[in-house]
Amino acid sequence: MSSRKLRTLVLIAIAAAVAVVFVLPLVWMLSTSLKNDFEALSGKMNFIPKKPILDNYIDGIKGELMNVPIMRWITNSLSVGAVGTAIVLFIDSLAAYALARLRDLPLRRTLLSMFIASLMIPGVLTFLPMYMEFNAFGLINTYPALVLPYTAGAFGVFLLLQFFSSFPKEIEEAARIDGANKWQVYWKILMPASVSIMVTLGIFTFMGIYNDFVWPLYATTSPEMRTITGGIAMMAQGSYVQAYGKLMAMTTIATIPMLLIFLVGQRSFVKAITQSAVK
Amino acid sequence: MNTGWQSRLTSSLFVLPYLISFAAFLLFPIGYGFYISLHEFELLSDSHPFVGFAHYAEIFSPGTYLNSLFVRGLWATVQFVLYSVPLLIAIGLALALLVNALPRKIRSWFRTVYFIPYAVSASVMAVIWLMMYDTNAGLINSMLGKLGIDPIPWLTSEPWVWVALVSTTLWWTIGFNMIIFINALNQVPEDYYEAASIDGAGSWRKFASVTLPSIRPVMLFVMITSTIASFNIYAQPFLLTRGGPGDTSKVLLMNVLDQAFIRKEIGAASAMAILMAVMIMIVSVVQYRLTYGRKEE
Repeated sequence: MSSRKLRTLVLIAIAAAVAVVFVLPLVWMLSTSLKNDFEALSGKMNFIPKKPILDNYIDGIKGELMNVPIMRWITNSLSVGAVGTAIVLFIDSLAAYALARLRDLPLRRTLLSMFIASLMIPGVLTFLPMYMEFNAFGLINTYPALVLPYTAGAFGVFLLLQFFSSFPKEIEEAARIDGANKWQVYWKILMPASVSIMVTLGIFTFMGIYNDFVWPLYATTSPEMRTITGGIAMMAQGSYVQAYGKLMAMTTIATIPMLLIFLVGQRSFVKAITQSAVK
Repeated sequence: MNTGWQSRLTSSLFVLPYLISFAAFLLFPIGYGFYISLHEFELLSDSHPFVGFAHYAEIFSPGTYLNSLFVRGLWATVQFVLYSVPLLIAIGLALALLVNALPRKIRSWFRTVYFIPYAVSASVMAVIWLMMYDTNAGLINSMLGKLGIDPIPWLTSEPWVWVALVSTTLWWTIGFNMIIFINALNQVPEDYYEAASIDGAGSWRKFASVTLPSIRPVMLFVMITSTIASFNIYAQPFLLTRGGPGDTSKVLLMNVLDQAFIRKEIGAASAMAILMAVMIMIVSVVQYRLTYGRKEE
């Protein structure tokens, strides 16, 4: 009994020590964001700032922090993420419905294997030609360039396909006998029953778009079109590289929306990840 | 009742929106990328003369500019893969075992804490660690200073640059692997362990003869996804070391994108990108074959 308790205590101690390692950088980010640049560069380990200031945040919200429009960047990221996610949910669920339930879909097997094969394609293969494609249409540095590339991934189609395939046939057949057409079955029967899986896919997709970094960095060129990840990357490369107090205020602002979504939707998110590994 | 062709048509309409996106932003770019790689394709020029496989030939000819760019980038990438992947698997599994060994009530709390960095974007991750690793003002050197250790130039000297890049990557992404392992561990049937206990197996034996074989498919999945992710490494060196010291951490993807956007030679860069993609796909297939062997056939 007591040796068992001791074992548990030791495990908790280890787990707590590991937790410190994971959280420390984030706490340090928050702490530094409340310091002036002088204190931030002092190399002292004061987690509680000597003279905490909110100037970095106030300047950030006013758009005066390092003269960049942070709030605009956040708005860009949130809108691009929201629109991209909406499109993905809509077109992926339509396609998954047809692939899972509509047996007379022409070329069904071919489409399925094509989509499966596409999951193996590394992003580096499509990155440059996609840039040239958007460039040819004059769409670099526009919102379509920040949204459309994310709608081609087949992950969502498969996640939903697995769910739709397990949906009881009887309910659908009863509706068809009552005269419902395919759209009505999709919209009035399948969708209301799929809220939880759609939320899962939605969070997964939104996080992917909001946090993506390489594509928005190259697909935007003017300051007001940047997403928050691309914007911060530019700042970190530029002359503000050691203005840690300001930079940390910026990264904290950038992280808050994602952290909230992550903590609230964690269960859904975990489900999407484990689903992807089950196949 | 719909006639056959009408029903087939309406069924097709459901797939059409996704198919358009799939064709425009996946299928077409693959073909177009190959086309570009066969041409002298300069970003700012209007004429794109056909050069056949000249770019590929150059990449494979020792002594040429493209060859050294590709080989040196590949070496940096391979080093990162070799250092990071074993740790991504081992520590991911270790964390999963640790979380699962904790009392039920606090399990999900620790799981969440270990997973939090995953919610942070690449650039935020980089900026935080840029500050942590700062030679003079960084938190890590300050803490080492208390222990009487001289400041270490984490991002500007070997081998520390690799230690820094790998640690950062572990901090940022290990939660993902841990989650997958936790899920796999929970699916190992309880009676396997009971049977092993009856046979007198200790916890190490149970781990080696029950746990490991049971999670083998998931292990493979984690190995492949971690290898692919590490092969694609870009944000960490791009933002933390800018490829330094010298070109030590200038990874392949950095060289591909520099060739495209700094030297503006999209044709040559596309050839490099295609070869890189082919290598990634070959590595995944080889890993799959090695793990599953001939049993599948």
